[in-house]
Amino acid sequence: MSEEEYGSGKREDVKLIIDGKRVDGRALDEMRPLKIEAGLLHKAAGSAYVEWGDNKVIAAVYGPRECLPRHDANPYRAKLSVRYLMSPFASKEEHGRSGPNRRSIELSMVLREALENVVLLEHYPNAMIDVFIEVLQASGGTRCASLVAASVALANAGIPMKDLPVAVASGKIENQICLDVGKEEDNFGQADVPIALAPRNKDILLLQMDGLLSKEELFRALDYAEKMAPVIRDAETSALEKAYARAGEE
Amino acid sequence: MEVMDEIKKSYVTLLLEKGERADKRGMFDYRPIEVKKGVIESAEGSAWVQLGNTQVLASVKFQLDKPFPDRPKEGVLSTSAELLPMANPRFEPGPPDERAIELARVVDRAVRSAEIIDLESFFIEEDKVYGLYIDLYVLDYDGNYFDAASLAAMAAIRNASIPPYKDGALAMKEKGTPLKLSGDALEFTFVKIGDKIVADPSLDEEYARDARITVGICGSNICSIQKSGRGAFKRDELEKIIDISFEKYRELSKYL
Amino acid sequence: MRKMVFPGDFLADSKMSVRGVYVEDGKSYASQVGLYDSDTGTFIPLEGPYEPQEGDLIIGVVSEVKPNGYRVQTGLPSETFISNKDIRESLSMGDIVVAKVRDVDEVGEITLIDATVLKGGSISQISPVKVPRVIGKKGSMLAQIKATTGSNIVIGKNGWIWIKGGDEYLATKAILKIESEAHTSGLTDKIADFLKKGGRE
Repeated sequence: MSEEEYGSGKREDVKLIIDGKRVDGRALDEMRPLKIEAGLLHKAAGSAYVEWGDNKVIAAVYGPRECLPRHDANPYRAKLSVRYLMSPFASKEEHGRSGPNRRSIELSMVLREALENVVLLEHYPNAMIDVFIEVLQASGGTRCASLVAASVALANAGIPMKDLPVAVASGKIENQICLDVGKEEDNFGQADVPIALAPRNKDILLLQMDGLLSKEELFRALDYAEKMAPVIRDAETSALEKAYARAGEE
Repeated sequence: MEVMDEIKKSYVTLLLEKGERADKRGMFDYRPIEVKKGVIESAEGSAWVQLGNTQVLASVKFQLDKPFPDRPKEGVLSTSAELLPMANPRFEPGPPDERAIELARVVDRAVRSAEIIDLESFFIEEDKVYGLYIDLYVLDYDGNYFDAASLAAMAAIRNASIPPYKDGALAMKEKGTPLKLSGDALEFTFVKIGDKIVADPSLDEEYARDARITVGICGSNICSIQKSGRGAFKRDELEKIIDISFEKYRELSKYL
Repeated sequence: MRKMVFPGDFLADSKMSVRGVYVEDGKSYASQVGLYDSDTGTFIPLEGPYEPQEGDLIIGVVSEVKPNGYRVQTGLPSETFISNKDIRESLSMGDIVVAKVRDVDEVGEITLIDATVLKGGSISQISPVKVPRVIGKKGSMLAQIKATTGSNIVIGKNGWIWIKGGDEYLATKAILKIESEAHTSGLTDKIADFLKKGGRE
């Protein structure tokens, strides 16, 4: 069964918060370690590898190139195509199925729409830009890790963007709102709220929620995302800076 | 199509700038709603919803299932959606595309998250559970199939009865017992065009939209959110949308 | 002071009309990873696709012969065309041409004029943003490569480079080295040294 596919499980059996600490020892407002590397692929116009906790995600960008199929070409702006896929070896469970499923098709769509907001697609009428995302290892929050990887890969490809978007999921665990929910917390928690933002103007680019939340709790999740936005963006720019490290010396 | 969309967008935007909608509705008014329950006798539950000129049929069917290995004591809930080619010239025959998949998953998300159906009560015996299947048929699409489908799904669930389990099978032809529910989950859709936000978008407003958001409400809680579209929402806009969703929940629940 | 900037980084309170800069409410922000010099107000993108401008010289390969002209592949996503009216000689599939961009229309389609066939030789591709470095100040870098290798070299703004004759291998190697070290200091001397040693580091 793939991550997040079947909603929340039986909660009362699993203790997710003990003495104010979460299962992996984090505080409620603590994010898992985030590592990003830009430009690791050679053929792609741009690429990025993200390790976020135990998530491992790779993203690659091709284009702008000729739009295929041709009749999809848009005379006003480039077509952005995003493919999010999860590998069959991404979880500790049995070998999964390869290829797209309903979940990955939906996530590809919301990720695409989030990115369409910041990519200056008008620069390339009739063209197409491809973003390929492969989740190699999944541990809760793969869509947010994917958005971060795509964001860095697009910048690495030199595709013009209004901002470097960021994303992080918050969740409700044992009646408390927690930042950056992990796999177990997602499976057994009460709600999951992935949010993507444009850090500069705090525009909400992606917002999904499943579970039960009050309005106040929802906005606490948004507070977390807004608070972490500059931190995640710094991780993105550091990765890009490293990739172009030799450039600044002059 | 793209060129036509741009023309419609500028017309709709122009109207909204003047604080108007083409059909003279207020910004957060819903179109007339009609709900007919029990329209399909072969299904254990069904409802036909009209929201303006948008029409969606929802059915609830049961089948005998094996539980998922990680939830051995729980029944199965599954939702599918079809954007039928008869409903709109832009819908094409073929397997569900991303829009149909999104519709099914978003309606499913609200029902599932709200926990209005006790899936543990679907347990029959070791390796045997009830499976509840919701099918959403968009028959006529004139904007906002989300809310029409959500209302239809909820009405069909309310209308459903569970067939008895006899001799290793479900006795589909016998009279069942009404499905027990702990509440109602409904979804409310808003679109943003330029910097204006309207509820229950018409078809032209759907084509003109920059962003869309669908909010699921169950009682005093939010039970689902789905933002889509290339536009973005601001924090204060989201707050307003949530508040209005709670208002609309009280208003639309009476159609159930 | 020159610093590296990233998409969304604030650059100036005024409108900058240069490539790689995005203007919102009269303020300028970087839209690409680049080097920004706040004293001179210059911005150099470090990466990015070629965006054709009128008058640019670009290199392409004829990909289709049509009744009214030729379709040319240039690595650009949009249609690139040479009309029969604008060329005297007749072209064949696979011909390498260098031509000038006459016009880029609103949907990105490009018409080329002043096309010249480049006979023989090979094509290398580099990132279009690195083209100015390969040419060098007043053509100094390119002149240096040509002089040492004896190769005939034509550089297209689209990042396609045609090389023929002389030490083609060394010329290609030098160009790829410039691409990968485009923004390091003392690049001209480094390349001179590289060429003198015949491509050995």
